[in-house]
Amino acid sequence: MKRLFFLTFLALLPSCNGIFHGIYDSGEGELITEYGFLEYNPTDNSGTIYIDATDYTKWIYLDFSERTAVTAGMSEEEAPAEWDIAVHRYDVKTNGAAALETGMTGLELFMSSGAMPEGDYVSDEWTTEQIIVDMSGMMDGNIGYSESWYNRELSKWLKVDTGTMPPVYSMSQKVYAVKLADGTHLALKLSNYMDATGVKGFMTIDYVYPVEF
Amino acid sequence: MGKLLFSACLACLAAASLQAQIRISGSVLDEKGEAIPGAAVTVDGMPGTGAATDLDGSYGFEIPQTGQNRIVLVASAVGYESQRRRISEPQGSYGEDFVLRESQELLETVVVTATRTPKPLKDVPIITRVISAEEIARADVVHIGELLETELPGLEFSYSMDQQVSLNMQGFGGNSVLFLVDGERMAGETLDNIDYNRLNLDNVERVEIVKGAASSLYGSNAIGGVVNIITREPAEPWSVSMNTRYSTLGQKVGSISAGFRAGRLSGLTNAQYVQSDSISLKNDGDYSKVYGSWNYNVKQQLVYRPLDRLKITGKAGYYFRQRDASPDVKDNYRDFSGSLKAEYDFAESDNLTLGYAFDQYDKSNYMVAGSRDVREYSNVQHNVRALYTHSFGKSDNLVFGGDFMRDYLMSYQFSDGAKAQYTGDLFAQLDWSPTDRLNFVSGLRFDYFSDRNLFHASPKLGVMYKISNCSVRASYAGGFRAPTLKEMYMNFNMANIFMIYGNPDLEAEESHNFSLSAEYMTRRHNLTLTGYWNLVDNRITTAWSDALKGQLYTNMAPLQVAGFDLNFSAAYDFGLKYRISYTFTHEKIEKGQPMTSSTRPHSATVKIEYGKDWRTYGFDIALTGRVMSAVTADVYTSLTDYSQTEKQTYPGYTMWKLSIAQRIWHGIRLNAIIDNLFNYVPDYYYNNSPATVGTTLSLGLSLDFNEIFNNR
Repeated sequence: MKRLFFLTFLALLPSCNGIFHGIYDSGEGELITEYGFLEYNPTDNSGTIYIDATDYTKWIYLDFSERTAVTAGMSEEEAPAEWDIAVHRYDVKTNGAAALETGMTGLELFMSSGAMPEGDYVSDEWTTEQIIVDMSGMMDGNIGYSESWYNRELSKWLKVDTGTMPPVYSMSQKVYAVKLADGTHLALKLSNYMDATGVKGFMTIDYVYPVEF
Repeated sequence: MGKLLFSACLACLAAASLQAQIRISGSVLDEKGEAIPGAAVTVDGMPGTGAATDLDGSYGFEIPQTGQNRIVLVASAVGYESQRRRISEPQGSYGEDFVLRESQELLETVVVTATRTPKPLKDVPIITRVISAEEIARADVVHIGELLETELPGLEFSYSMDQQVSLNMQGFGGNSVLFLVDGERMAGETLDNIDYNRLNLDNVERVEIVKGAASSLYGSNAIGGVVNIITREPAEPWSVSMNTRYSTLGQKVGSISAGFRAGRLSGLTNAQYVQSDSISLKNDGDYSKVYGSWNYNVKQQLVYRPLDRLKITGKAGYYFRQRDASPDVKDNYRDFSGSLKAEYDFAESDNLTLGYAFDQYDKSNYMVAGSRDVREYSNVQHNVRALYTHSFGKSDNLVFGGDFMRDYLMSYQFSDGAKAQYTGDLFAQLDWSPTDRLNFVSGLRFDYFSDRNLFHASPKLGVMYKISNCSVRASYAGGFRAPTLKEMYMNFNMANIFMIYGNPDLEAEESHNFSLSAEYMTRRHNLTLTGYWNLVDNRITTAWSDALKGQLYTNMAPLQVAGFDLNFSAAYDFGLKYRISYTFTHEKIEKGQPMTSSTRPHSATVKIEYGKDWRTYGFDIALTGRVMSAVTADVYTSLTDYSQTEKQTYPGYTMWKLSIAQRIWHGIRLNAIIDNLFNYVPDYYYNNSPATVGTTLSLGLSLDFNEIFNNR
């Protein structure tokens, strides 16, 4: 009996800073520090993009044919010459493209469907109160907006419910079919909006380009 | 010759044994001078000794003299208050006559929180509210918050940001009310509140609530009150019980307890699982749905008595809760705890308790994509403590003790790594009754916090005077709360809206609590009126800093909280009980301070209960009500400027609950509870509105296998 208590006591004498650290995943060791078009598989034209969209005052312009990601300021003039879609935080705009949310949740399923889906593809609209560049006045009702083009359909990839504080985020998990201005087709899906430690604004996008059935 | 020698030896032995006897005799009478037949007079700590009184109330017995320094006689009878009497260095014969008073129901309950020594409720110099195991079983609630709201007025658990639970107890928040489990502190907090879900009520002997400051015994955080949860120790050779509960709102509860007592060892194991579905609310509000969650809680306790005078208690526990706040990220909360405590009686009058406790509370984000569980918060507390009690005179006690704690905090809200600090304290308290009617209690405690090199002294002075059926109590108590590591070192970007900065120069919160109470008690009735006034200085909150362009932890200007509590309860032999409690709270905060008051001024709880018990069936029907008044608060129109306010009225409400508890045969209990009886649904869900969508029904079944098999 004494031995049992002694063993219990030993078990209760853990290290100063706590016990069972091992049950957690360490976020920082697994942080990805490279951004842009990270993976590309030429056999099925699929790839993965990882971008840092944490800055409220930056657009990240993606060019799918050259597989480049360029970070630029808010004004139209700062955009690179060639780009297809651009991401600001969770907002999306396109370079003259039109997009459609499909009912499918996987790119493989999308590719096996055999054709671009039919439907009302949505083009960009001009917005004045959508693209937030300054949150600091939010509690006093003075949010800073940037006037910009905005694709409402593609931006459905992440729903942000600001009805509660802090907002509740939920991904649509859907594949989006995009008809680009040059006539080529793109399919993409947002697979994460956080980095390995849970910081929001780091977007992982899975895509197929060009879409060739 | 041999015979003669043998007889002589026998005679010597008999003489020796005669010399070594202490004889005690006398009578036990009631207050009218009439005999109480069948009353027991026993010696504390000596099982099997003592005698019962005859028809004329007389008794007599002998005990061997073994060099005791002191013995304690206990006279008790059903329906009467027990009486204890000490005899120092006993030898020879004693004539001890007892006059017993009719007992006053719950007032015989022994409590520990107010003085840190066991005392019957009626003798405690600070008003203590007790919720008994029986009341807990009938309330059939899952955790401490629901129980406290049902039983006490002036207490509100509402939501703060991120749907985290936040307590307001008569103007004092979660960090100003100290929650203890068997006297031990709990690690971890979210928005200044501990995780109340950790405190499930399985195997709880009783809950003791002391309102007002108590830092002279408990140190930091005991500004507004102390809630102490006392765990049961098994008395039966074995026990197994099961509890299940299902509510129409989608809450499922299942728990199992197993206990044993074998010679010097006893143990108790408990596991509980709770699942709450998310609830979509019916109207608009500050939030549109209550997040679903599930948790489980496993507790193990072992008590070993290697010597008659030594008791060793070991405890270990694990708690896990997952909250479905978002489909992509689940909030995980974990707690690991363990403790070892040794209590040693040096003599009948001296007791030493040494203990070590470990508590680790972790928060992590479980990211569904990638199945990763990343920890963002860990609070680890190691606590070593000593408590020495010396009792003397008729019922006087001297208590002194000290604690040493290491407090470690890792948080996502820190920018430069984890922090740790050491805290230490020494305290002493004298509990002295110069006469049967008069009792003084005085105490002083020094606390030290290494990070700020902060010293703080907390005094207490209390007096109680009894006149016939009345007691009057008056006290002054100091309270304080040291700035926490979070409040000193936070450096957190709040969703890109603003920064929140810690402040290493914070002063400790300090309070002065004055209270005056009068209690009238008869066997069936109890009336208590308590008035109190608190002066709270340096309350810590966040305020906008123009210099930093963010929120900064700051000390507030002095504020006052005053009010009174009125409590009336009655219990009749034919099975009817009721209790009405009302509380009035007035909070006075200067204009321009970063925090405004939104404490509801009036609140009341009502409980009417009727029950009957037969051999194979028993029932108890209880109607409980909770009445909360509306409150109009001045709310700042700007986050950055504290000059403009607008009026915001939070509507009052009442919630009623009807519960029917039935005992079927032996050990089978069936509970049916209709909550929110009058189908109250808020027009708008404020954070402090009850998160109800209308009337709900819950059914509970509990099985006590020991009672079932032993047919008791």
